[in-house]
Amino acid sequence: MISMLAAQSLSVMRSGQQVLKDVSFSIEQGEIHALLGGNGAGKSTTLLTFLGFLKPASGSVHVQGRDVNGNLGAARQAIAYLPEAATLYGHLSAYENLHYFLSLAGTDTGREALDDALDRVALQPEARNMRMETYSKGMRQKVAIALAILRDTPILLLDEPTSGLDPVAIDEFNRLARNLAEAGRTILLVTHDVYGACHVADRIDLLQNGVLVGAFDRPPGMDRIDTEAVHVAFAQHAGA
Amino acid sequence: MSKVLSIAREESRLWLRSRLALFTLLIFTVLLAAVSIATSLRMSEEHRERSEQQALAEETFLSQPDRHPHRMVHYGHYVFRTPPPLAMIDPGVDSFTGQSIFLEAHRQNSAMFADARSGAELGGFQGLTAALVYQLFVPLLLIAIGHGVFIREREENTLAPLLAQGVTGNELYAGKWVAMAGVTLALLLPLAMVSAAAVVRGEALLASFGVMGLYALYLFVWCGVILLVSAMVRSRALSLGILALFWLASALIVPRMAVESAVSAVPAPGKIETDLRMQAELREVGDGHNAGAPQFQQLRANLLIQYDVERVEDLPVNFRGVVSEVAEADVTEVMNRFAEERMDLEVRQARFAESFGWLSPVVAVSAGSRALSGTDLATHHRFLREAEDVRFDFVQGLNRVHVEQLDYTDDINRSLNEEANRRTRMSAENWNVLDEFSFQPAAADQRLARAGAPLGMLSAWLLLLTAGGIRAARRMQP
Repeated sequence: MISMLAAQSLSVMRSGQQVLKDVSFSIEQGEIHALLGGNGAGKSTTLLTFLGFLKPASGSVHVQGRDVNGNLGAARQAIAYLPEAATLYGHLSAYENLHYFLSLAGTDTGREALDDALDRVALQPEARNMRMETYSKGMRQKVAIALAILRDTPILLLDEPTSGLDPVAIDEFNRLARNLAEAGRTILLVTHDVYGACHVADRIDLLQNGVLVGAFDRPPGMDRIDTEAVHVAFAQHAGA
Repeated sequence: MSKVLSIAREESRLWLRSRLALFTLLIFTVLLAAVSIATSLRMSEEHRERSEQQALAEETFLSQPDRHPHRMVHYGHYVFRTPPPLAMIDPGVDSFTGQSIFLEAHRQNSAMFADARSGAELGGFQGLTAALVYQLFVPLLLIAIGHGVFIREREENTLAPLLAQGVTGNELYAGKWVAMAGVTLALLLPLAMVSAAAVVRGEALLASFGVMGLYALYLFVWCGVILLVSAMVRSRALSLGILALFWLASALIVPRMAVESAVSAVPAPGKIETDLRMQAELREVGDGHNAGAPQFQQLRANLLIQYDVERVEDLPVNFRGVVSEVAEADVTEVMNRFAEERMDLEVRQARFAESFGWLSPVVAVSAGSRALSGTDLATHHRFLREAEDVRFDFVQGLNRVHVEQLDYTDDINRSLNEEANRRTRMSAENWNVLDEFSFQPAAADQRLARAGAPLGMLSAWLLLLTAGGIRAARRMQP
């Protein structure tokens, strides 16, 4: 079976510094895969490499079995991306932002579908016509998540998706992510939130200074990965 | 294409929703409209005034009583350069070179009544014209609006989502370009209105479209500069600083450098030195007032042989008139030679200065604007040449009256008594030798040809900037 996302011996340089070293992993359809690590671990760099914004110094990244290098358009068509601290446009309302970005992606979406996605991320209906510059960080994040959902792509790359969300909204996001995965969508998320990752992910790769230092799978029949084990490993490598 | 239009529409929506941008745009539009209307009214008034003055000068000359013809060549006549309709946009050299010349025998007077000279006495500043506003101030407005056009996407973290939707660097650049071009076209509306008014006043459609096209091209060059800088740098402050420096260099430093360099590269002898050299040559030729001067002895001998007579009193023509006629032709030949030398020098200096259009789009557009409006140096030189033709023709026409109709004996004895003096007064009907003078701008295709070099420079600027901008946009990363 072809992996939806795969990194093979991936190394990436940014501004003369090696930020990823010989990283390999693959993600199958319907799987939620979390990259966990501290600041500067190389998590966001991994996502940017899958999107073709950064080129591998060595190794390769594949989307739906195709090397991103040489198939950039197809890769971006298959991926919905939620960047870290996505603010979208402050002078536009949630509806206008969604409509604009979806039109750029060539996705024709009606108001009902927009409302459905905004309902799923629990954005208050009365806020949807307000300019996003009046939104809280959490509200902006919800609209960005809605955009990622609405792209209706087989793959979602989410960079710190729960950043700025309150605990209730984080729970809602986790449920939403699981529902999307059950519906066959593949999710690669990066985070430094150990507990959140353990609750939502099927597999966690621990990234430290650009190197994969650990992997944790959700045991069969369990609803989450062992938080304690991940926390210990995370603290151990962070302190190293 | 739909992505490009979506990006352009979004950019425009941002400007429309930004009170600052809207307010600035509104102020500039009002300023543009006000200046365009004011310049238009001023140049219309100038046109009317000078046309009236021309008619009055002709009427005054023709209504002179019977007189000795040589008194009439010194009574003289004025010719006025009426501004072309497109001077409403760009008065060009009009305000510096003078607009009227006094024509008389044996002299080529300089043009007089230069508005800039009188204006300079009031404060030393050049008047605000539509051309100046478009050349200097509209680029500033475009910089204010567009300096952050790409940087904003980085700073607000919207570049990554944009590119992740499959938008390419080319599409992003094209979308931003279309948005900037839209603002530019809106800002050109007052200019379009004045151009239309010029067409109503008799300007050729081709010339009016030429001016519109030139300014559109020029402002697109500025859009190209702004987009390139905005795509290359990472902060608004840096972008604004670079663009402000570029404006300063283009609008203020390079144009002055161009003039100074032209004067150094094509040095002109001083006016006093030239005048002294010309006066020395003119003295050798003689102005014909003294028919007994040595320069005319050969002429006298030749005439006596030609008509087979012993004395000039017996000639069938007035010897003093013949002397005036020959002297005028000789004097004119000397004066024209000096005038052509001076004009050739001015043309070479102007061309040298215009070549700085490769360094500054402001230099290129101002040269093109003057050429298309019919207010450039070439037009002024044509005015000088046409005025000289009128001067020479009317002076020689009156000299011919002197030769053929005025008796030589009466002529030399006119101071003896009133009756002799009366007999030297020629009929006022002879003053009709004066040609009607109506200065017209060059044909539109000729003006377009003269604007060819500046148009070429601006096109090259636009091509290079667009290529650079696309390259920078393709390299943009979140």
